[in-house]
Amino acid sequence: MKNIFLFLLALTLSNTTFAQQTFPVNGISNQNHIVYAFTNAEIFVDHEIILEKGVLLIKDGLIISAAEKTEIPKGAVVYDLKGKSIYPALIDAYTSYGMPELRTGNRGPYPQMESNTKGAYGWNQAIKGEVEANKIFSKDNRAAEEMRKMGFGAVLTFQKDGIVRGSAAVVALGEGRENELMISDKAAAMYSFDKGTSMQDYPSSLMGSIALLRQTYLDAEWYKKDKIKKEYNISLDAFNNLQPLSQIIETTDKLSVLRADKIGDEFKIKYIIKGSGNEYQRLDDLKETNCKFIIPLNFPTAYDVEDAYDAMNVSLTELKHWEMAPLNPFALEKYLIQFAITTADLKDKKDFWKNLRKAIFYGLSEKQALKSLTVTPAELLNVSDKIGRLKSGMMANFIITSGNLFDEKTMIYENWIQGIPYKINDYNSIDIRGDYDFSYDKKGSYKLKVEGDLDKLKGTVLIDSVKIPMNIAVSGNSVSISFNSTKEAYSPDGIIGTIRLSGNINSEPLKMNGKGQTADGDWIDWSATFKTGYLPEQKKDSSKKEALKYGQVIYPFCAYGKKLDDRDRFDKIIYDFKNRYQAVLIKHVTVWTNESEGVLKNQDVYITEGRIVRIADDINATKLAFAKIIDGTGKHLTAGIIDEHSHIAISNGVNEGAQASSAEVRIGDVVNSEDINIYRQLAGGVTTAQLLHGSANPIGGQSALIKLRWGKSPEEMKFAKADGFIKFALGENVKQSNFGDFNTIRFPQSRMGVEQVYYDSFIRAKEYDAKQKAFSLLSDKAKNNSVPFRRDLELEALTEILNKKRFITCHSYVQSEINMLMHVADSMGFKVNTFTHILEGYKVADKMKAHGAGASTFSDWWAYKMEVQDAIPYNAALLTQMGITTAINSDDAEMGRRLNQEAAKSVKYGGVTEEEALKMVTLNPAKLLHIDNRVGSIKVGKDADLVLWSDNPLSIYAKAEKTIIDGLIYFDKEEDIKLRDDIQKERARIIQRMIDDKKGGAPTQKPVPKKQKLYGCDSMELDYMQTE
Amino acid sequence: MKKIFFILSIFLSITANAQQKSILLMNGIAHLGTDSIIQNSIIGIKNGKIILVADARTAKIDKTAYDEIVDIPEKHLYPGIIAPNSTLGLSEMEAVRASNDFKEVGTLLPNVRSLIAYNTDSKIIPTIRSNGVLLAQITPRGGLISGTSSILMLDGWNWEDAAYKIDDGLHINWPRIQTRKFLDEDNIYPGPYEKNKEYTKQTNELKKLFSDAKAYNESELKEEKNLRFEAMKEVFNGRQTIYIHTDNVKEIIEAVNFAKQYGLKQVAIVGGKDSWMVTDLLKENNISVIVSRLHDLPEHPEDDTDLPFKLPYLLQKAGVLFCLNNEGSMEAMGTRNLPFMAGTAVAYGLTKEQALKAITLNTAKILGIDKTAGSIEVGKDANLFISTGDALDMRTNNVEKAYLKGVSIDLDNDQKKLYQKYKNKYGLK
Repeated sequence: MKNIFLFLLALTLSNTTFAQQTFPVNGISNQNHIVYAFTNAEIFVDHEIILEKGVLLIKDGLIISAAEKTEIPKGAVVYDLKGKSIYPALIDAYTSYGMPELRTGNRGPYPQMESNTKGAYGWNQAIKGEVEANKIFSKDNRAAEEMRKMGFGAVLTFQKDGIVRGSAAVVALGEGRENELMISDKAAAMYSFDKGTSMQDYPSSLMGSIALLRQTYLDAEWYKKDKIKKEYNISLDAFNNLQPLSQIIETTDKLSVLRADKIGDEFKIKYIIKGSGNEYQRLDDLKETNCKFIIPLNFPTAYDVEDAYDAMNVSLTELKHWEMAPLNPFALEKYLIQFAITTADLKDKKDFWKNLRKAIFYGLSEKQALKSLTVTPAELLNVSDKIGRLKSGMMANFIITSGNLFDEKTMIYENWIQGIPYKINDYNSIDIRGDYDFSYDKKGSYKLKVEGDLDKLKGTVLIDSVKIPMNIAVSGNSVSISFNSTKEAYSPDGIIGTIRLSGNINSEPLKMNGKGQTADGDWIDWSATFKTGYLPEQKKDSSKKEALKYGQVIYPFCAYGKKLDDRDRFDKIIYDFKNRYQAVLIKHVTVWTNESEGVLKNQDVYITEGRIVRIADDINATKLAFAKIIDGTGKHLTAGIIDEHSHIAISNGVNEGAQASSAEVRIGDVVNSEDINIYRQLAGGVTTAQLLHGSANPIGGQSALIKLRWGKSPEEMKFAKADGFIKFALGENVKQSNFGDFNTIRFPQSRMGVEQVYYDSFIRAKEYDAKQKAFSLLSDKAKNNSVPFRRDLELEALTEILNKKRFITCHSYVQSEINMLMHVADSMGFKVNTFTHILEGYKVADKMKAHGAGASTFSDWWAYKMEVQDAIPYNAALLTQMGITTAINSDDAEMGRRLNQEAAKSVKYGGVTEEEALKMVTLNPAKLLHIDNRVGSIKVGKDADLVLWSDNPLSIYAKAEKTIIDGLIYFDKEEDIKLRDDIQKERARIIQRMIDDKKGGAPTQKPVPKKQKLYGCDSMELDYMQTE
Repeated sequence: MKKIFFILSIFLSITANAQQKSILLMNGIAHLGTDSIIQNSIIGIKNGKIILVADARTAKIDKTAYDEIVDIPEKHLYPGIIAPNSTLGLSEMEAVRASNDFKEVGTLLPNVRSLIAYNTDSKIIPTIRSNGVLLAQITPRGGLISGTSSILMLDGWNWEDAAYKIDDGLHINWPRIQTRKFLDEDNIYPGPYEKNKEYTKQTNELKKLFSDAKAYNESELKEEKNLRFEAMKEVFNGRQTIYIHTDNVKEIIEAVNFAKQYGLKQVAIVGGKDSWMVTDLLKENNISVIVSRLHDLPEHPEDDTDLPFKLPYLLQKAGVLFCLNNEGSMEAMGTRNLPFMAGTAVAYGLTKEQALKAITLNTAKILGIDKTAGSIEVGKDANLFISTGDALDMRTNNVEKAYLKGVSIDLDNDQKKLYQKYKNKYGLK
C-alpha cells in the first residue's frame, strides 16, 4: 500500500516540473493538483482487461492507477460510479480535425505544366512532404465537441491534400491551448494516389500517381546521399524526414491496396492502409500483404428500387455492396487482420455509432471494436504509451458510460480528456421512468406512465381509462409536465385546455410533487408516487437475427463473378478429396492448329495441368479418369484469340499525357481485374490481351500483358515471364491536333517535333545508360565518395529499349511518320517491334520488312480523322503478302469480342486464306508479343488456351461456346445461362431486402445509371472537348 | 417549295428511265427479301422496274425481249440494302469540323433539311455501296428536333439526281430523363449521370411546338409564314414519319404516349435499346423500331452479354417491326458493315431471311418506301445486287454487280484503287 503513495509522490514531483508553462497568466493562477477517484465502476483498462468494480485514480491529467482495490488518498474528489462503466477514450486515426480549409485553384483552359507552389520546392505540386500538421493545427471547439460526444478523446489529423501529404499529428480533443493538446507532433507520414488540389497536369492518371510516388522515393534517396547538393529541394528534404514515421496511405478501392503494397515492397515500407470499406471483396489477397488497416464505416444507403425500370440502373456490385459492406469489419477480424476504425468517409458523422453497431450486429466482436478504436490506433500511431489504455502514467483520456459502450441504450455521460471533464449527459439525473399513482387538485386515483429514452422521455396520463399523452421534461431534480384536459370533468375548473405542472423529484423513495396551473390560470397542487419500474421494450431480436442473411462474395465482385468453391461466406471449407488437376478431353472436333498440319478434322484433344498434352484421332477416355469430356462434333477448336491492342481492364485513366514522354508509367500498376469487359471478351473467345497506354504522347507508358483469368487478382492475371512492351505514338494525337485550341502549348505540336522528342529522349537514355554502367563498376567506397547516381524511371525504361529488354508497339497512321521512326530506331540501334493501327503500312511495307517491324492493324477503320483518309481495308492482306507478321487488333472494348469477324474481313478484302486470317488474331499477335512459344497455336506442350466454336470460327454465324485458359474453362455457354439466372435471383433477393428496409423507414437514394468508362487510344483528360 | 420538288422528282425519274436497258438475270440464288428464296431464279428488269420474278426451272421466258442477259449460276441475288438513320454524305471525317454537316444550331429545327447538304461525291459512299448498301436515309443530328431527313440513292450526279424520297420524316431526340455530366470529378470524359432537371421543360417545348404547328396547319388564315410550322405540315396527315430517337424504356413509353396524344400515324423509335421490354406497347400502337447499332456493348454489366446481338430476335419473336442501323462513332464509314450486323443477328436467333429483311424490306416499310424498294418483287424498282456468296458473311460478301433503278452502278472505290496501286508497286498479284 505504501507503494501507491510513493508512486503518487513520484508522479506528483515529475508532473509538477512537467506542468510548468511558458504562458503568462491573466489574473490569478489556478494550479490544481487534486486527485480524482472514480469508484465502483466497471473499468475497461483495455479491450482485454476488465475490472468489475474498480477504482480509477487520476491527477494532473494523467492516470495514477486503475485497479480493483486501491486506497483512495485523502483529499481526493470521489465520484461514485456504481452501475456505470469507464472506457479508454476512443481514438480516430484518420481525420483532418483543426486543419485549414483547402482551396482548389482555378485551372483555366490552358495546360499547367509546372507547379504553382512558389519557392524552393520540388517540381510537382502534388508532392507536399513539407506540410506539417503540427504547425497548421488550430483547435476547433465545435468539431471537437462533436467528436467528444461520440466518445473520442484524440485523433490523428493531417492536411488531406496531395499524393505526399506531409506529417500528421495526434491531438487531444480538449479545449485547451494547442500547446497542451498536442500528443504527438509527428505521428505519421501521409500518402495517397490523389493529387488533390494540384492543378498541375501531371499526373492525370492513377498510373501517373504511382509513378510519381515511386520516383519521389528514388529522388529523395539520391538527395539524401548527395553531399555536394547542387539542388536545394525543400520537398525532398521534408520527404526524407517523413520516413522514420508510421507510413499511412489512403486507398479508394481494394485493388489500390495491392497497388500500395507493391510500392511498399519496392521501397521496403510497410504501409498502414487507409481502406475504403470494400476490403472484404478480396480478402485473401489483402491478407497476404500483411498490411494493417484503418477502415471507415461508410456503409452505402439503400437504393429506391421500387420502380423496376429505375432499379435496372443499380448494378449487382452496388446491390451486393449495400448488403455486405457492414460485414467488412467482421471479415477483417475473421481474417486476423489488424485494423483501426475511423469516422472518415462518413457523409454524416452521426452515423458512426449506428454503423458501428450494425457492424457488430453483422458479427464484429465488441472486443475487437473496442480494440480498433483504442489500442490499435494508438499502436499504429506510436502513441500507445500515452493513450488507448487506462494504465498508470498514461493520459487521463476516458469516457464514463451508463453501461456497455456498444449497447444501443447506453449513454456516454462524460468524456474526460487530459484529466478535464466534458459533460455530455448528466448521470446524476434521476431515472424517473415507470408507473405512478397520480393526483392533482386533490383528485386522486389517476395514473401516470413515463417511458422512452432518458434524454427523450414520453408520458401518458390515464384518467378513467382514457389515455392522454403528455410532455414531460426533467432537469436535475426539477420536473415539468403538461397535458390537455380533453374532457371538462378532467379539469378542476371545468375548462378544457392545457394543464401545466412543475415540481420537485425526490429520488429515495421516488416521488414527484409541486404546483401547477390550469387552462384558466388557477393554481393547483399535484403529486405522483412511484409504483413500478420501467421495463424497456424488448426489441424483436429474433427478427433481427433472421434478417442477417447475406450472399456470398463473388470474384470479381460484379455481375458474372463467381463464388469460390471452397468458401462458405468467410469460412474456408476443407474438402476431404480434391481433384489434383483438371483435365479436359475434347472429342471429334475440327482443330485449326495454326501449325504446318493446318486444319485437322475429327480430332481428340487432351489437355491437363494447363497444357495441351495430346492431339490424336482417338484418345481413349476411359483411361483418363479425371477428365471432363466435351463432345466437339460439328464444332471447331482454335487457339485463344490474342488482342494485341486493348484498353480494357484499366483503372482510372489510360493516358498520362501531360508530358511528351511518360515512359515511367506502367499499365501493369493499374490492371483492373473487375472490368465486365473481361468476361464479355471471354465470351468472344479472347484469352490474352495486351493492355496499352493511350496515344496522347510520343512516348507513352509500359504495357501489361494479361490472360483473361476472370475472377483472379490483377497480379494473377498477368502473363508470366513475358517480355516488357511500351507504347509509342505518332501523329494527330501526340501533336494534340484534335484537343481544342487551348492545347497548343505542350511540345510537340507537329510531326517535326515528334522526331526531335525521340532523338532527344534516346540520346539522354544513352548517356544515362553509360553513366549507370560506369557507376555500377565503382567500388563501394568510390560510390560513397562520388556524386550518387539518380535512378530515373523514365530513362530506365528507355534504356531497356536500347538494351533490347523492352519492345515498342507504336501507334501510327501515315507513311511519313512510320518511315521517320524506323530511321530514328536504326540510328539509335534498336528496332520498332510493332507498328499498331499502321493504316498506311501498305505504303511502306517494303521499308517495314527491311526494318523487321510487325504490324497490328484494324480490319476496316478509316474516315474518322485526317490522318486516316488513305486507310484501306486491304492493308492487312497486303502487309501479309509482303511477308510482314500482321495482326488484327481491336483498340475497342466492343470490337474486342468479335475479333474473329474482324479477321474474317481480310478474306473479303484481299483474299487472305481462312487459315491465315485466323492467325491474324491468334498466332501472329503471339509472335508480335514474343509469346508464340507458349500460345497462339494448338500444339502439344503449349498452354491450353483454346476456344471451342459452334461453327467455322471465321464465319459470321460462329459463337464461342467454351473459352479455356491454362486448361480451365473461363467461359462456358451453358454456365453463362446459369449465371444470368443467378444474377437475376440475387438481384431480386437484395432488391426485396431494400424494399423491406424502405418500408421499415430506412433512407434511400435514387438510382442513377452508371455507365462504365471505355478507353480507346484517344481517351484522356478533356480530350472530347471539341468533338461532341 | 414543295411543288417544285414534286415536279423535280417526276422529271428525275423520267431522265433515269431514258437510259434504261432491259436486263434478264438468270440462274442466281435470289433472296427476295420477303422470307423466300428462289434457288434458281430468273429476274427481269425493264424501265428500271422489276417485271419478272420466277423460278428458272419452271418459267418459260422470251429471252429476246431483253437487251442484256446476265447468267449468274450459284451467285446470290439480294435486294439493295437500305441504311436508315445515316450521316453518309453529311460527314467526311468525324474529327475534322469542316467536313461535318449534320448538326445545326438550335433545338427545334423541323425546317432543317439533310437533302441539300448530301454530298454525292463523298469518298465514303463508294465504299459503302460496294458492300451492297444502295439506299440510305440521310439524317440530321442534334437538338430536340434535328430536322427532316430524306432517302437518297448511293449513286448520283448530285442530290437532286440521287433523291429517292424527299423529306420523308422528322427526327425528334426525346429528352433524356437522366443526363450525363460532361466530365467527372477527375476531369475525365464522360461524367456521371444525373437527373435531367430540364426534362419537363424540354418535353413541354416539344409538345408546344406540335400543338402550335397543328393549329397553324389547320388554320385557314396564316398571318405570317412560319418555316418551322410549314415544315411539319405533312406530319399530322401521316405522309411524313416521326422518328423518335431514344433508348431508355421510360423515355420510350413517354414517346409513345406523345405520339398517341398528337394522333401521329407514322412513328418509329430509333435506338430502342430497351424496346424489348415494351414490345406489347409498341405493337399496340403500331410503332416500329430502328434498332440501335447491333455491334455494341450491353448497357449494364448484368445484362446478357449478347443482349445487343439478340435484340432483333427478341423483337422478331414479339412481332414488332424493326430494322437495323449503324448510328454511333465512325458511323458513316461503318455503314458498309450493315450486312454483317444482320449476319450477327442470325447467330443470335434470326433466320437468315429474317435478318436480310431487317436491312431491306423492313427498313423500306419503316421508311415508307416499300412500294418501290426493299425486296425483289414485280413492280418494284430494280434496286438489287449480286454477290458471289452469302452477303451477310464477310468471308463471302463479294458484290460483283449492283443496280439502282435498273442501272448498273460503279462498284470501284478509292480504296480499291490504292490497293491496286501498291500491289503494282510491289509487283504483287
